[in-house]
Amino acid sequence: MLEAISLTKRYEDGELALDGLTFKVEPGEIFCMFGANGAGKTTTINLFLNFIPPTSGTALIEGVDVAKDPLKAKRHVSFVSENVMLYGNFTAVQNLDYFSRLAGKRNLTKKDYGAVLEQVGLQKEAFDRRVKNFSKGMRQKLGIAIAVVKDAANVLLDEPTSGLDPQSGREFLEILVQMRDKGKSVFMSTHDIFRAKLIADRIGFMRKGRLVMMKTAKELAHEDLTDLYIQYMEEQPGQPAPTAAPSA
Amino acid sequence: MLRDIIKKEILDNITSPKFVFTFLLCTILILLSIYTGVTNYRAEKKEYTAALALNKKNMESQPNYQSLAGIGIKISKPPQVLGTVVTGIEEAVGRVAPVNIAADPNLIDSKYSSNPVFAVFGSLDLMFIVKIVLSLFAILFTYDAIVGEKEKGTLKLALSNDVPRDRLILGKAIGGYISLLLPLLIPLVLGLLILLITPDISLSGQDWARLLLIFLLFFLYLSVFFSLGLFVSARTSRSSTSFLVLLFVWVVFVMVIPKVAVITAGQIRPIPSVHEITAKKDAFLQQIQSEGQKGVIEWSKKNAADAQKDVKAYQEKFRKFIQDYQQELTSKIDENNAALERDYQQKKRAQQSLAVNLSRISPASALTFGSMTLARTGIDDFDRFLASVRAYKPIYTKWINSKLGQSINFQTGETIQIKIDDMPQHIYEPQWLSQSLVRTIPDFALLAVMIIVFFVGAYVSFLRYDVR
Repeated sequence: MLEAISLTKRYEDGELALDGLTFKVEPGEIFCMFGANGAGKTTTINLFLNFIPPTSGTALIEGVDVAKDPLKAKRHVSFVSENVMLYGNFTAVQNLDYFSRLAGKRNLTKKDYGAVLEQVGLQKEAFDRRVKNFSKGMRQKLGIAIAVVKDAANVLLDEPTSGLDPQSGREFLEILVQMRDKGKSVFMSTHDIFRAKLIADRIGFMRKGRLVMMKTAKELAHEDLTDLYIQYMEEQPGQPAPTAAPSA
Repeated sequence: MLRDIIKKEILDNITSPKFVFTFLLCTILILLSIYTGVTNYRAEKKEYTAALALNKKNMESQPNYQSLAGIGIKISKPPQVLGTVVTGIEEAVGRVAPVNIAADPNLIDSKYSSNPVFAVFGSLDLMFIVKIVLSLFAILFTYDAIVGEKEKGTLKLALSNDVPRDRLILGKAIGGYISLLLPLLIPLVLGLLILLITPDISLSGQDWARLLLIFLLFFLYLSVFFSLGLFVSARTSRSSTSFLVLLFVWVVFVMVIPKVAVITAGQIRPIPSVHEITAKKDAFLQQIQSEGQKGVIEWSKKNAADAQKDVKAYQEKFRKFIQDYQQELTSKIDENNAALERDYQQKKRAQQSLAVNLSRISPASALTFGSMTLARTGIDDFDRFLASVRAYKPIYTKWINSKLGQSINFQTGETIQIKIDDMPQHIYEPQWLSQSLVRTIPDFALLAVMIIVFFVGAYVSFLRYDVR
């Protein structure tokens, strides 16, 4: 389970990137977070991964305070970033092997890696090809494979569908659904409202570091997500960003 | 986990084009430098043997002791076998020191003076390659070690796992360093094989120990630039910035500091020019020569009456006087020259020592001085050789003066045939390993301190590094 409690981040230049963010992602749930660039989505992920310390508040992964015990917390989380280049001189299998070992998975065989790469939709002939020759979509699939291999209880995804073609996007959504079905808590920051609507159990909208709206899939069933997106993303002059009530 | 990081680092480096490029260039340059060193050493050794034989033949062929005193003796410095890897100042400073009654011994006949084109291009020895080329490779291997991973996004991905940052930087440092050494070790081993199989080159146990210490100094020097690269890479957020900063520091360390140190030392502790010293010596020589002429005339006048009484006794007395007087005048010249030289050498040493100590801020200077001392091709070794020749000069002068006095036959006017078998020999004892080691301790220590400072800097910076 992922949980943010009044998470606040003010950078050294005084910019308030996160302002009392509170939410929870339950096991077996996909939570999609929307927001314009600079709204605080990536900052939230960075705080969960302890890349930056919070100014106040707490980020919990499986109940472990990330700021207090980051290594223990990170054991329970996989991460897929927006545009990972990986090691260009390594093959897909070599990249997968290295990151699996870092994740503590040391007994996996080439066959196991092959199965995961196949699962994320990477063509067989690409398994032993150098990653520097991969397209952005292929690299993204490999990034997802790295997260799949770690098999952590929580998954953080930072705009993972950017650059994916429709076929790859669909395969990617299938993987996320499989993860949810396995009981994992999935937090995804994205701009991709169409794909998010297909799989999200809950959706949140962020503006100026605040969670301004949160709705469940049921609540969204009869709503036009595009209109909602525009409505919540548009800044209203002179009006502070509202705060959504935390809901599970 | 550490092993995995090291393994990945090595694999990532050795599969990169920069490794292939480095390996090829290292192999070509190292083998070329050792081949050049070996060829030069063989030529110098041949030249040295020929010079010894020629000098002996030349001395023996002189008709009398007067002409022998005129030409003097030429003492050649034996070439150092480790000059094959560290040429030092061997080519710039003379290899021969002429010793005669009048002049003070100095080194002449350098390779650069006989063929200035060598001075234009300098020598391509192993030390030069390590100092210039390989230090640049060390930078090439590390400038993006951390910041490059940040740009690729792999740093975020790695640190999203329960990987302690200290282990990651340690693994990167060890793996990166092994990758840097790999393209070096193979050509170095091949180079050593060349030294082993070349017939004219025989390395004693002490030479091997010196060679290993020189290699250790090389590795420490490269480690300085390697840890500096890691440090700068952990302090910057763009690899292009990291590369530019490192290039700037490299130029300052390798090019600027050593030269500025020499100029500064010259300003702080100026020394009289060689011409000034020579002019002073010449003036004193002239003064002594005229004094000598006056002395002989005065003696002749004073003893003119004896010449009438007993010619044979007078001639014997004159011979004795000339021998003693010549020795007395030569001693005066020697004393004056020695005093001038002592003063000059003292000032020069003070300036040199200031320049050396100032320039040691740069790892390139520590490498240069340390490796030259170990190879016995540095300033110390030449100073030591010259000092031994200067110490030999009064011994030789005494011998030639005694021969000159005995050689005049006043009855016949003939001179005695020369015999050089009883001529005292110049003995030169090169520096012992223990002495060299003591002299190189500051260089080893400075390089070690720089490595520690830069690595700790890299380590601490990486612990706080913004991976986003």
